[in-house]
Amino acid sequence: MTQILDPSATEFKAPPPPDEPRVGVFRTVLRALMRSRTGFVGFLVLLFIVLVCLIGPFFTPDNVPTDVSKQFAPPSLAHPLGFDNEGRDVLMQVINGGRPVLFVGFMAALISTVIAVVFGALAAYLGGRVDSLIVTVTDIVLTVPGIILLAVLAAFYRVGSSWALAVILGVLGWPGLLRAVRAQVFSLKEREYVEAARLLDLGTTRIVIREILPNMASFILMNFVIGMTNAIYNLAGLYLLGLAPMEGDNWGIMINFAWTRGAIFYQSSFFWIMGPVLAICILQLALVTMSRSFEEILNPRLRHN
Amino acid sequence: MEPEMSQNAASAGPESQEPGGGAILSVRNLSVEYKTGQRPNDPAHRAVRDVSFDLYPGESIALIGESGCGKTTLGLAILRLLPKLGSIPAGEVLYRRRDGTTVDVLRMNPDELRRFRWSECSMVFQGAMNSFNPVLRIWEQMYETIRAHDRSVSKRQAYERSAQVLEDVELDPARVLKSYPHELSGGMRQRVLIAMSMLLNPQVLILDEPTTALDILTQRAIVDLIHDLHERLDFAMIFVSHDLAVAAELATRVATMYDGEIVEMGDVRDIFYRPQHPYTKSLINAVPTVAEKSSVLSGPAGSESDG
Amino acid sequence: MAATDRGHGAPVTAQHESPGERSERPAVLRFAASGTTRYVVGRILKAFFTIYVVATATFFLLRLLPGNPVEVYINQQIAQYGMSYQDAANQAAGLFSFNPDEPLPVQYLNYLAGMARGDFGESLLSPGSSVLSQIGAYLPWTLFSVGTALVVSFLLGIGLGMAMAYRRGSVFDHVMTFFASVTHSVPNFLLAMMIIVFFGVQLELLPIGEMRGSYSPGVTPEFSIAFVTDVLYHASLPMFVYVLTTLGGWMLVMKSSTIETLGEDYVTVARARGLTDRRIQFQYVGRNAMLPLFTSFVLSLGFVVGGSILVEQVTQYQGIGFLLFEAVNRRDYPVLQGILLIVTTSVIVANLAADLLYSRIDPRVRITGNGGRS
Repeated sequence: MTQILDPSATEFKAPPPPDEPRVGVFRTVLRALMRSRTGFVGFLVLLFIVLVCLIGPFFTPDNVPTDVSKQFAPPSLAHPLGFDNEGRDVLMQVINGGRPVLFVGFMAALISTVIAVVFGALAAYLGGRVDSLIVTVTDIVLTVPGIILLAVLAAFYRVGSSWALAVILGVLGWPGLLRAVRAQVFSLKEREYVEAARLLDLGTTRIVIREILPNMASFILMNFVIGMTNAIYNLAGLYLLGLAPMEGDNWGIMINFAWTRGAIFYQSSFFWIMGPVLAICILQLALVTMSRSFEEILNPRLRHN
Repeated sequence: MEPEMSQNAASAGPESQEPGGGAILSVRNLSVEYKTGQRPNDPAHRAVRDVSFDLYPGESIALIGESGCGKTTLGLAILRLLPKLGSIPAGEVLYRRRDGTTVDVLRMNPDELRRFRWSECSMVFQGAMNSFNPVLRIWEQMYETIRAHDRSVSKRQAYERSAQVLEDVELDPARVLKSYPHELSGGMRQRVLIAMSMLLNPQVLILDEPTTALDILTQRAIVDLIHDLHERLDFAMIFVSHDLAVAAELATRVATMYDGEIVEMGDVRDIFYRPQHPYTKSLINAVPTVAEKSSVLSGPAGSESDG
Repeated sequence: MAATDRGHGAPVTAQHESPGERSERPAVLRFAASGTTRYVVGRILKAFFTIYVVATATFFLLRLLPGNPVEVYINQQIAQYGMSYQDAANQAAGLFSFNPDEPLPVQYLNYLAGMARGDFGESLLSPGSSVLSQIGAYLPWTLFSVGTALVVSFLLGIGLGMAMAYRRGSVFDHVMTFFASVTHSVPNFLLAMMIIVFFGVQLELLPIGEMRGSYSPGVTPEFSIAFVTDVLYHASLPMFVYVLTTLGGWMLVMKSSTIETLGEDYVTVARARGLTDRRIQFQYVGRNAMLPLFTSFVLSLGFVVGGSILVEQVTQYQGIGFLLFEAVNRRDYPVLQGILLIVTTSVIVANLAADLLYSRIDPRVRITGNGGRS
């Protein structure tokens, strides 16, 4: 028979709760950016774009005025990007046009991330029939390439508003992330602190939210950013094809108009097309570099030191 | 603690280009360091400091010491298998070939080095778990090892040789050769690695913790195997271990390492029964035996348990 | 990655044979390999099931959405050509391979039966030509351009990725990583646009007018050098864009995989064994580093058919994406249905292939009845 060495130690205290998810995320972002120079630059660029797109429109007219006399006028100091086929200032349109893109991209990524995290974690944690069901549904949705499904859906159902667009994009984006979340949760499930929490009977939701998810903060963040790049890609694609609501002034619409009405015919429409195209490319580049810096946290061997 | 060579050593001869008096391998003033940081000015950590010893034909030297004392690094350095961060700033590793000529391993060019490795001096690594290419069968890995050193060997001859060494380690060649590494147990893989190390009849065999990561029964079997092979075949052995029991069984001479230096070296009996260096003494004393009552291990006063 | 169901572990019997040959298992042990066949059959069934689900979903999508296109078509025929409802309905039946008067379950069964026969109905745009023939006219172009580009991109990517890993930290590595990041994030159709606008319109280096389409008008398709060159000429822009935008991904993944593999024990042991650097690079590092990428590669082959719509639109290359866009615009529902099905099937087949093939290249995942470990 063994001897109890310290009688007062029999009172079991619950382990202190991990940091609130919000703090975890914030700290993760900081860590990622401090460690990777390119990630930091990407973040700065993103910040710049976001600021310009959110604040800029206050300085530009809501409806950029047309002036037929200025059709395809070349760039000048006052109008660095020249004019489009209706004589509207391209730079102003670019400034105006970022907000809808950012908004839809962000919302779509948010929707798909939430769906993926919630259901992925549930599937992995609960296992059994729930898991099989979720996996089957995911597999089926995963099989159809996004852009095709989008195109077909758009044929049947005219997309009305930005919100609807965001929802559709979000609903298509989750399968990939769900699989990844599920795999991660599976591996974390076996770790000791989860075992401990389970033994303490802390309840499923609580375990998932407090023990598992905070440890996946950078993983989820990385996938959120990737989700945003996918959403923006699909978004731009839909606009190009003319399958998204063609109102307003966003980069996608600009690209569509510039492409169909100018770029390949007139040399002078160069800035009209390149403005929004470069804007989207730079945005994507910033997002991708940021997501790779998050990836470096997860896989430290990738770092250059 | 002033680490110094105690006089229990049959030490290496004076500075000369020849391995001292009939030794097969002479390590002279070898130092190894690892870079700790990116920039060239960052301090380097000396894992091995000014180590010298001789290895004579047919003998076996045990390098013992606690984790991190540099014994594994020393083994790797002899074959120049250090990772990228490691470098050898000073020393010589003099090797005497079968034809009597001497060469310094550290000064060999890449091609000579490649040919030297395995055919003159081979190594059995710690934990053979992952020592084989997962996508190639054992036979292929044996064959390519032979071919890398002698292209004139035919498949038939290579097969016979491979079967021979596998039988030496008490494995069934037919089964093992056509298996993939993951199809063999840990103990089997260790044996295969030992067999492979004998493939080209090296004069020197370095073993790095050959029995760690194995269960105790397999450990016994492997130690017996190594002992047996060493008796039968003609090679000199350096083995690195923190297991003093294994050292006692397999070694003719023992060298104690502490913090990168050899602090004492001598005949195995001398080291175990009459250790002179304080560090060696504490190492030997640290091993609990059933017979002694070691004061470090007793529980709370008056609490002799009955279980 | 394939989760192997090891089934019944059957011990490998010792047999006497020359090295390197696969073992001939006696009949008794072949039975024990049912672990494999069960797994394979299971996956195939699952694939069929998924195709079935998608087909069903398409069917109901078509019929349950607002503004039933079949009705729309019928009304259109009535309005435009003054047909009677019955005549229009009959025409619709032929085109959509269904009969509107029949109860839904019967329609459904006819639909499935038609599909099994390979009858997908007729295209609305070009009455008289079946959906299958339409697809058949456009699909090969996409398969050619995207497929070739994918293979080229993969091979180039793993080569460069490995080189980057070996030269880690060097200028080459940094430059390549930057290059990979940039090209990887640019949307491929925008890249196509930029090339066309910059080189074609501004600098007038590329004869983009000529480069439209899959092959020059007036050239007859045949296996002649002239035709092949012409095809390559037209496909060059889309292929270039595909390669450039996917190259970065392969490079970066291969680089990290190679870095990990370089740290493995067996690489050090291989060096100790005196193997040549070349051999180590290919058989030890390369092969093992490539394993995780293999699955992605096969999977991406599946998406070959689907991902091209935007690039084809921009470059005016007449592949399946092009057809899809036309069908979407003109509401050619039978064609849409057919394309969706073909695309889904190719992805499912690719998934299946990836799972099954992986066990061929990675012996650790062999689905055999072998329980050798102790």
